[in-house]
Amino acid sequence: MIEEVADLGLLALTSMVPLLLGAVGEIVSERAGVVNIGIEGMFLLSALTSVIAEYYTGNLALSLLVGVATGVCVGVLHGAISVYLRGDQIVAGVGVNLFAYGVGVVSLITIWGTFGNSPSVPTIPKFMVLGRPISPMVPASILIAVGTWYLLFKTNTGLRIRACGEDPRAAEAMGVKVLRLRFLSVLYGAALAGLGGAYLSIDWVGQFTKEIAAGRGFIALANVAFSGWNPVVAIAGAYVFGVFDALAIHLSIVSMQPALAYLFKTIPYLGTLAVVVAFVRRARMPSSLGKPYIKE
Amino acid sequence: MGRGGGEAVVMKDVVKVYPDGTVALRGVSLRVRSGEIHGLLGENGAGKTTLMRILYGEIRPSRGEVKVFGRRVSFKGPWDAIREGICMVYQHFSLVPSFTVLENLTLSMSSIRRASASEVAERAREIMERTGLKVPLSEAVESLAVGVQQRVEILKALMRDARILILDEPTSVLTPVEVRELFNTLRRLKELGITVILITHKLREVKEVTDTVTVLRRGRVAGVVRTPDVSEAELAKMMVGREVVLKVSRRPRKPGGAVLEVRDLWVRGERGVMAVKGVTLSVREGEILGIAGVQGNGQRELAEALAGLRRVEKGRVLLMGRDITNRPPSEIYMMGLAYIPDSRSVGLIMELNLVNNSILTRLKRFLGRGSRVLWGRALSFTNRVVKEFNVVVESVRTPVRYLSGGNQQKVMVGREVASGPKVIVASEPTHGLDVGATEYIRNLLVRLRDEGRAVVLISTDLDEILQLSDRVAVMYEGRVMAVGRPEEFTLERLGLLMGGVSA
Amino acid sequence: MRRLGSWRLVEYSSTAIEVAGSVAAGIAVGGAILALLGYDPVKGLSLLILGGFRDVDYLLSRATFIMMTGLSFAIPMLAGFFNIGAEGMMYLGGLVALVVAVYTGNAAVALVLGSLAGAALGLLIAALKVFRGVNEVITAIMLNWTLHYVVIYLVTARFYDPLAPHESVKVPKGARLGVMDVAGGRLHVIFLVSLAAVALAYYLLYFTRLGYEIRVSGLSPKSAKYAGISPRRAVLNSMALGGLFAGLSGALNVLGFMYYIDNLLTSMAGMGFDGIGVALMGRNNPLGIAFSSVFFSMLILGGQTMQIVMNAPKEVADTLSGIIVIALSLPYAYRMLVSYLRTRRLVRGD
Repeated sequence: MIEEVADLGLLALTSMVPLLLGAVGEIVSERAGVVNIGIEGMFLLSALTSVIAEYYTGNLALSLLVGVATGVCVGVLHGAISVYLRGDQIVAGVGVNLFAYGVGVVSLITIWGTFGNSPSVPTIPKFMVLGRPISPMVPASILIAVGTWYLLFKTNTGLRIRACGEDPRAAEAMGVKVLRLRFLSVLYGAALAGLGGAYLSIDWVGQFTKEIAAGRGFIALANVAFSGWNPVVAIAGAYVFGVFDALAIHLSIVSMQPALAYLFKTIPYLGTLAVVVAFVRRARMPSSLGKPYIKE
Repeated sequence: MGRGGGEAVVMKDVVKVYPDGTVALRGVSLRVRSGEIHGLLGENGAGKTTLMRILYGEIRPSRGEVKVFGRRVSFKGPWDAIREGICMVYQHFSLVPSFTVLENLTLSMSSIRRASASEVAERAREIMERTGLKVPLSEAVESLAVGVQQRVEILKALMRDARILILDEPTSVLTPVEVRELFNTLRRLKELGITVILITHKLREVKEVTDTVTVLRRGRVAGVVRTPDVSEAELAKMMVGREVVLKVSRRPRKPGGAVLEVRDLWVRGERGVMAVKGVTLSVREGEILGIAGVQGNGQRELAEALAGLRRVEKGRVLLMGRDITNRPPSEIYMMGLAYIPDSRSVGLIMELNLVNNSILTRLKRFLGRGSRVLWGRALSFTNRVVKEFNVVVESVRTPVRYLSGGNQQKVMVGREVASGPKVIVASEPTHGLDVGATEYIRNLLVRLRDEGRAVVLISTDLDEILQLSDRVAVMYEGRVMAVGRPEEFTLERLGLLMGGVSA
Repeated sequence: MRRLGSWRLVEYSSTAIEVAGSVAAGIAVGGAILALLGYDPVKGLSLLILGGFRDVDYLLSRATFIMMTGLSFAIPMLAGFFNIGAEGMMYLGGLVALVVAVYTGNAAVALVLGSLAGAALGLLIAALKVFRGVNEVITAIMLNWTLHYVVIYLVTARFYDPLAPHESVKVPKGARLGVMDVAGGRLHVIFLVSLAAVALAYYLLYFTRLGYEIRVSGLSPKSAKYAGISPRRAVLNSMALGGLFAGLSGALNVLGFMYYIDNLLTSMAGMGFDGIGVALMGRNNPLGIAFSSVFFSMLILGGQTMQIVMNAPKEVADTLSGIIVIALSLPYAYRMLVSYLRTRRLVRGD
């Protein structure tokens, strides 16, 4: 029994990574005032591109970078629309998700001629902890979260970013280039989302499937609000949500009835919902979140 | 950079046309001498703030030249202006409310040079010493009094080695005592060699503290004078372009019985603190009761409580003898009270047309069977309002946001008045309007009072209050300091009462 | 006075530019992708656009479902609320309609109950936001996925057809909404139902108190409160309506088109999100949605035709739709463009 629990605890670490990376990146973006609900789409696209890179080059480091770069590219698009063109941020995010899904499937067909999964690729080497393989991305993502916390709360740059999200007009008047800083924050978030997506395909699952994101981008969003826009708290949040995920996977494997697997799959979603409903503290949202900054 | 040395600012033939077509400046030239306090005088819409925003780099001129300390400049943003030593303090402060004073100062300094929080605190204390300005460094800005926040803004400017300080209507949110303190500060800054440009529409202040005045009118320069050489009346004439009719004719009238009674009212404000503390008033039919006071002393909360938009914690409100305390607004409006809020974006829905806006507050009157909206009835009501109140508009189907401020105000006021209310609560009804519209609204209020209605006029414009009211009440920190006829109040006494001093 | 007469011009032209521009952008990118993949872009695009018209009945029937989900996004949007829960509402509505039809054999009752189930879900999402402050995007997505799996579970474990285990039981013949003969062709009844629904939505929004309160609350919550209108109530009402139409979409799908649910939910999957694009293109106006749903349906079917004829992947159509949606999120950009051009004219002519 204890072994099962420990095992679950370790498996949760694996599930935690994308949820943490996505959330930490989005925290920076939202602290600057821009909301990106296209994280799901970014996961999908970077999972795809890093598998493609790995398939053709066999170079894991490069593929990881390709994933990050993909995130950044989509981030440029979302940033351009949300920040410079003052578009509706939510709608743009929805568009990104739709677009990503379409591109994902199209690519599967054209490159490998399949409708469901890509072929398997080698994944990032793991180290063993208590008999379970754990990816180096686990401690890496935690370090990134802590580093981001430091950036946001202990440096002048972080102060400037937060000012953009609280009162962009005041920030601009104090010499902060709000549009540029917001754009860069979006790119930071997109880069981490790209990293998370790459992790999904070339670290965890080992291939690309069109369902690989499975709503994780939105769970990451839930984590942002749950953590009160604090990257360190987001670690705990991501782990909690990771436990739900692990539980669902574990139960599907363990139980004998195939149909029940469907019910187990609802655990991460219902669990996330329950947590969000129960713990919605009136944690202060950045005051100008979601509102485009218009100067004249 | 001493006194009387060269020219700090020269702006030549500046033109500004906004993207939506409004022409704000039509060729304005300005000369500010170094080390002087220069007044920029004009009414709302004259172009004063636009001109200074160009100087500060916030917006680009459509045409024209700007020179600072003799050098031609072309600012791409405030950061360029700041580097030249220009700092602007707005009416609405450029401070992040949720940050502390120190964080705001650090943020401000972070654009200039790398400085840690402790270095910033050090320098701040040093300046506070030198100028006598005092602010608490570790408090959140949103919890500070307005006068203190303004001091933070000035401190912020000084920390950036500002050599030119632009203040935009700094006294509109201050009590008379705070205004005096501000002017003392400005004189001290002048001694330190700093140039000050003061944007205002208040003649008295221009006379009190400036050395030179540039008067703007409708986007052009109406005159440039040395302050000692000119009188307030002359300045007023330059500002408006004609003999200012400062008086509205008001025949004395005997008011009837009380139609609105407020008894020991207690209302909570935004932050959970009591904003109205035991106010007792009554207004009679055929009477205008003017409520004077600096913005933020409970007037708005009082008005909202009367309209049912804010909870009354204790006390009663009686409309024609019936208790309307805490009733829903739709009911109160139907019962004969009209509320004209101080903000047009609250009283009107900018994206909708006039017809949709005219049924907003008394929707029930325009509903048929099964909650169907009777658009025919709404249309004729709207046409009536447009005709009676001279609203200049091409079609009633025009979205309200395309109308001028004055016409928007007429729509809002007209809608309320045409519904035949017995009591009208008007909050800042002429705020931001040009002279023509202001005159119209003021005459309208007097007409309503002559017709036997009761008007509660809330305004920060003392001239307006004194001219129009039959009785005046002064509010300070949620309490009524005094009530009486306008003749019983000199401007002196009003100022003291508004500042919290019983007189 | 120059300003006054031209507001209509600015508003209508910017709307026209927005819609036309987004479609053009979508077509351009779609054509580029086809070319990149090695197909003839011109042939592909023409099939994409015209291919749907080979079977008008099918085209209109498909349009029905996204017309309803379009309404389900548009109405809450008018109240200022973001409803992306149409997927879940559709699955739930479809399932409830199926079960009720199987047990009662009555199509009308099944339709009503399916729609009400959707409405209940909409109310849940709205209530969580209004009373607990829970972000509606997260709630909706979580519920979408939950219902996705729950419905699949029920279809495969409890309501499966023993003769075809990957499909649910079938809707009994007497409870099906059928087809009728119209002007020399045939047309599914569900399309007419959807038109009636659109008319109803239009009436509610622009001719009733309910609709007025929704619109006012969405445009200016402060003004709404000033008038004594409760924005919270307006949001709840709008989501009840939104859920109603999405539930109806699922119910119509099951009762009037497929007559069963399959274990991958292929007949319904994705239509909730398509509804968003439909609503955006229709500018959140029921009449506009009627047209844009036919347009999107045209694209989807065109994609299928393109696949059959040219063997090009039909997901190109999805990508195209995605681009259109992204492009439609730029209202300010277009407005800025129109104003910029006008200002240039004004300053020059000074």
